[in-house]
Amino acid sequence: MARAITTDEPPSYAELHCLTNFTFLRGASHPHELVEQADALGYSALAITDECSVAGVVRAHMAAKRRQLKLIVGAEFRLDCGLKFVALAIDRHGYGQLCRLITRGRRAAVKGRYTLTRGDLRELGPEQCFILWIPADRPRPEELHWLVARFPGRVRVAVQQLREGGHGSRLAALSRIGAGCGAGLLACGDVHMHVRERRRLQDALSAIRLNEPIAQLGTRLYANGERYLRERARLRRLYPPELLAATVELAQCCHFSLDELRYEYPHELVPAGETPTSYLRRLTEEGARWRWPDGVPASERAAIEHELALIEELHYEPYFLTVQDVVAYARRQGILCQGRGSAANSRVCYCLGVTSVDPQRGAALLFERFISRERNEPPDIDIDFEHERREQVLQYVYEKYGRHRAALAATVIMYRPRSALRDLGKVFGLTPAESGRLAKVMQWWDGSATIPERVREAGFDAGSPWLRRLLPLACELTAFPGFPRHLSQHVGGFVIAQGLLEELVPIENAAMPARTVVQWDKDDLNDLGLLKVDLLGLGMLTALKRAFALANDYRGTRYGLGELPAEDPEVYDMVCRADTIGVFQIESRAQMAMLPRLKPRCYYDLVIEVAIVRPGPIQGDMVHPYLRRRCGGEAVEYPGEEVRAVLHRTLGVPIFQEQVMQIAIVAAGFSPGEADALRRAMGAWKRSGGLDPFRERLLGGMHARGYTPEFAQRIYQQMLGFGEFGFPESHALSFALLVYDSAWLKCHEPAAFTCALLNSQPMGFYAPAQLVRDARAHGVEVRVVDACTSHWDATLERRDDGEPALRLGLRLVKSLSEAGAARLVAARAVRPFASIEDLAARAALDRGDLEALAAAGALAALSGNRHLAFWEVAGTERPLPLAPAATLPASELEGRPLLTAPTEGQSIAADYASLGLTLGRHPLALLRGKLRAAALIPAAELQAAGHGARVRTAGIVLMRQRPATASGVTFLTLEDESGQVNVIVWERVGREQRRPLIEARLLEVHGELQHQEGVTHLIAHRLIDRSRLLGELTTRSRDFH
Amino acid sequence: MRPQLLPAASTADLPSPAAPQAPLRSVRQGVHAAAAHELWAGLHLSGFDPVQGLGPLATRAQRFTPRVSLAPPDGLLLEVSGSLHLFGGVASLGRELLEECRHFQGHPVLAFAPTPLAALTAARAGRALLITDPAQLIGALAPLPISALRWPEETRARLARAGVRTLGAVLRLPRAAFARRFGVAQLAVLDGLTGRTREVRAAHRAPVRFRRREELDCELSDHQRLLAALTPLFGALGSFLTARQCGVAELECRFVHRHAPPTSCVLTLAAPCADGRQLCALLAERLNVVQLPEPVRALELRAEQLLPQRSPNRGLWQAGEQGGEACEESDGLIDHLRARLGPEAVQGLTLRAEHRPECAWRLTEPPSIAPRRAVPEAPEELPARPLWLLPQPQPLAVQAGLPRHRGLLRLISEPERIETGWWDGGEIARDYYRAVGRDGVRLWVFREREAPHRWFLHGIFG
Repeated sequence: MARAITTDEPPSYAELHCLTNFTFLRGASHPHELVEQADALGYSALAITDECSVAGVVRAHMAAKRRQLKLIVGAEFRLDCGLKFVALAIDRHGYGQLCRLITRGRRAAVKGRYTLTRGDLRELGPEQCFILWIPADRPRPEELHWLVARFPGRVRVAVQQLREGGHGSRLAALSRIGAGCGAGLLACGDVHMHVRERRRLQDALSAIRLNEPIAQLGTRLYANGERYLRERARLRRLYPPELLAATVELAQCCHFSLDELRYEYPHELVPAGETPTSYLRRLTEEGARWRWPDGVPASERAAIEHELALIEELHYEPYFLTVQDVVAYARRQGILCQGRGSAANSRVCYCLGVTSVDPQRGAALLFERFISRERNEPPDIDIDFEHERREQVLQYVYEKYGRHRAALAATVIMYRPRSALRDLGKVFGLTPAESGRLAKVMQWWDGSATIPERVREAGFDAGSPWLRRLLPLACELTAFPGFPRHLSQHVGGFVIAQGLLEELVPIENAAMPARTVVQWDKDDLNDLGLLKVDLLGLGMLTALKRAFALANDYRGTRYGLGELPAEDPEVYDMVCRADTIGVFQIESRAQMAMLPRLKPRCYYDLVIEVAIVRPGPIQGDMVHPYLRRRCGGEAVEYPGEEVRAVLHRTLGVPIFQEQVMQIAIVAAGFSPGEADALRRAMGAWKRSGGLDPFRERLLGGMHARGYTPEFAQRIYQQMLGFGEFGFPESHALSFALLVYDSAWLKCHEPAAFTCALLNSQPMGFYAPAQLVRDARAHGVEVRVVDACTSHWDATLERRDDGEPALRLGLRLVKSLSEAGAARLVAARAVRPFASIEDLAARAALDRGDLEALAAAGALAALSGNRHLAFWEVAGTERPLPLAPAATLPASELEGRPLLTAPTEGQSIAADYASLGLTLGRHPLALLRGKLRAAALIPAAELQAAGHGARVRTAGIVLMRQRPATASGVTFLTLEDESGQVNVIVWERVGREQRRPLIEARLLEVHGELQHQEGVTHLIAHRLIDRSRLLGELTTRSRDFH
Repeated sequence: MRPQLLPAASTADLPSPAAPQAPLRSVRQGVHAAAAHELWAGLHLSGFDPVQGLGPLATRAQRFTPRVSLAPPDGLLLEVSGSLHLFGGVASLGRELLEECRHFQGHPVLAFAPTPLAALTAARAGRALLITDPAQLIGALAPLPISALRWPEETRARLARAGVRTLGAVLRLPRAAFARRFGVAQLAVLDGLTGRTREVRAAHRAPVRFRRREELDCELSDHQRLLAALTPLFGALGSFLTARQCGVAELECRFVHRHAPPTSCVLTLAAPCADGRQLCALLAERLNVVQLPEPVRALELRAEQLLPQRSPNRGLWQAGEQGGEACEESDGLIDHLRARLGPEAVQGLTLRAEHRPECAWRLTEPPSIAPRRAVPEAPEELPARPLWLLPQPQPLAVQAGLPRHRGLLRLISEPERIETGWWDGGEIARDYYRAVGRDGVRLWVFREREAPHRWFLHGIFG
């Protein structure tokens, strides 16, 4: 075959059928990779046509904007009858119809699937979309006839030349069929990847999708790797020129861009006769009178006017009204809630009751942080609710706006090293157990780059042929940002629209019933400037609400959120001692290590405390300068007056995200909009190197304003260090309120506070065992779970001396059903139980519930020890409804069996297994003899050993932490009968002694003690797994990263 | 690992089963009278692979006693009271039994007790107990863990939660109360364990096989005479099979010579057959191609595995006629071809849905022996494939960029690109073409996608 040798410009081409990896487990390239490659190849346009989805188009859109490539939005469909086509949106209407069609298909099927019939295609108007018919292997002309009749003039026949042989005859047949209907032909690539090197990955993804080993897939794989973005010169050899020209012609007719999407806020929040502006003003004024009963201070009045003017100018009233409506609903329902975010800390929000942060107590916050004239982006407010009642709020929103107008944002679940290895293992024919073992070599902290190393270390032969093929795929699958695997729901980001939401973005079913999600995640929504309200659940609000109720009930007080006596020195004394288990935010180990050094004495110190123990300030090296200045060890100085205004609250050291932006404004002359662009770049510079464009402006701007190069350079370095981990002051202000309230309760009402925490589990940093232990250490009497007295929740019981005792609740009992417990409590209220049989009969408990109670030791009052309780429980039978009651209980007829009593060790193990805690001795107290013999000293004695002493200790591993910023250091918390030990495992030690580090439940540590400013650490040299000593005891470490 | 032997302390011989006190004592203990006479050996093989099956071991163990029964998946029970005197007592019998276990996988533990369940339970607990006196049974069992009973995990867990972890503890529980909580079945197990009730165990029966040897009066080398001598053997085989309603699918005939090692003829059949004459005829076919090194002095006929054989339905029509069963006919043909040409010479072919031409087909057993299964259909629109595929692609010379095969080839199709197979080391990346040679023969050739881009001939269309 002679090839025409030409040197002229290759023909123009637009690829109109291209899948991204958002067609999960089919597409093998990221949207941005496809866009960049299409641009590099000089394509005229690229259509993104994921299967019944537009989940990847925003990413493609942003990339195409950067590259100035024309992007067409479409989707591929396969109807239930087998008809396959691509629909491309011509204009905004076409896009809306496309979204509706996708919504229809997705809502009719279970999560992750879709189902559509020909009848559903009436969602598409006849004119607003182009339809590319994708003929089957053996084309069925009837399909084309039907499509042409349905979409006259808009249908094209897609011709795919993928070098699978027989193309010439196929082209002739398709021309004939097309001519018969008057539908033109055009070239299409059925693109699945941006370069052909992704062929192996595409094959592997197919195997994952079909859930079969790759070797068994045969012809269900593609025969070759031609489904990539091919060079135009290559296409010229494959297609007749008119077919290529037709693609460009069609692309030119599609003029829809995602930039056209305009968001419209819901209107119904405004009562008749009011405009949004007047209504917001009215609510604000009402709130101002409530907040400042003695009259609004002049400065605040001016600030309110400034904010209202800006809101009016940008038409953001409906956003504030939406937030106000949700908050007002929660108030009416008695659900605790609190807003955060800079918009939340505005005066307007203070007046609307969205937040309790008094603007005068906080700081003059940068209002422009969230709305600016330059950007057309919506403001951002997060609202926290009691976590157990948030669902109620979500359903309120669904109900108020309807499911066609409100939905949750999506979260894209990406491949992580473990999931990638597990799935790829199956691709290569491993059994689920084997691939599970392969996946387990990765820890949650391991990055994708370490996959080959970890697999080798775990004893797999990395040189074996299958692993040599698998490992590169695993790296490709997990390389940043990771291949998407499926869509899940965002924790609480709601999208609410005035019109039909499904014409803006398709809606699909979430895994949870009664939940629907849109196909875009929060970054996508942000990029397009769509409104999102974050309705989040916060465990501490639940706990506070309960603690207030318990304390008020017991003492007859009327405490509430933000209504406790302010600035109580006793509370700060406690906080300075780092006695903060259970306190919001400052209970973590890192926070506790900071407290004795920072020594908070007022509300604003708590704000700083919340923000400073974050990766941003730590990496930006802001912590030590701040601490030095605070204790007077270093002079506080400012390079200029404007900077003093920004930094004086934090002694000249930037700690909050906002401060960095303000410096950019006052010292380098940025506009607020530019400063916000800087903030976003700070979040992303590690990924994209996006801070360079700002560097010149920053340094130059500060130089021009007379700042020294050293100062400018330091500020720039701090911005780099901040990265995306800087904590905003606006959030810290709201959080600090909760810190104070929870600390106050812990200090003055420890029983009620612990009780509330137990009843709000799971939440916070510590498990019930540590909370109870801490409460007992503070003199709270804790009483056992008892079927004769306990309720579902933990309760307070009045002691003879008038102080409360904490009675543990039935909710701690493992595998006891809540309904069973409710029946038990109700039956007990009628009259106390006489025996276990009486209990079983009147509470109608099944065997499982009874055994759960026996396992917890909750039947001790009725039967004696656990063994007897179990024996009796095993003998109880649910009486048949019509059987006559036996005159004597069966147990009395049988007599008591010869059962041994459980030993103390058995009882403790049983306590842990059922309740997760014991009120008996700590398990290590039983082992102490053995531990002493091995020269292991208890935690309490470590304090006495001097700084730098070499010691050996052992404890149950409570927690493992591996912060991303700590460059491979692992922090362990061990517990024994005398207290806790904080262990630091440097990266090298952790690498060399990885197994005990990640597997041990009881860990022996040899190391060196460090006492620093009231904080004790043990630097580990040697780790030994002693879990065998624990026997049957079940302990579980909480692992964080 | 050395098999575990009996503990030194308890190698005392069993009192003779006829000892006068034995029945008295057992009656006093409430033990079933018959149980007192019995001594069970419980054999447990830890680490035994159940796939292996206990049958072969049980068959070997039948040399110690006819009363052998299986305790799947990994145990065996032998009632040995009757054979002790033949083997010189418990100790030496045990030693020999453990010796037998050497041929099998797993670590054996052997225990002796008056009840089968007790013996097995002790062995499963890894305790090589020797309990000959029923009165000591309960005491000896008491320390064993309950797990040795292999009760369901749930039962075990429930007992453990009541502090009951040993057989002693469970036997101390009140009977009625125990039954109410854990079921009568479990109580029956305990009664079997202690001999309160007698457990009836099904005896193992060794599998049936056919082996017959015929010594010849004089040495023969003539095929016809050999066949004549074989005929009675086949007749005996035929009656043997018919009586058991069995057939054979594999049959070995051995010709024993004076010096040379025996010549073996193996017949493999498409379907089980019980007809002696038919088998004899097949052997005759086979014999035609067998070279005998020496004259034959004895004949052996062996069928190790018998298969159930339904008696054939006799059709009204001749085979192949009017809907008669054609497949029987083809079975016969395959048997004849295999008998004459050797089993390897006759193969079935099947298609596989694979892109790689060399993997798109494979050899199978001829269709009627292989379970009948729907052959996966080749995709409809696969481009043409040649009927004749070369076993190995054959390199072609190249001239002016085009391949040569007895002259320059002309490519008459567009390329079909196949790039696949990377996962098993058989990766290919080729462009296939149909080509026509000078002589008009249509060929299937390909060019490698990677340098040096060599050309190969892979098939011939004809």
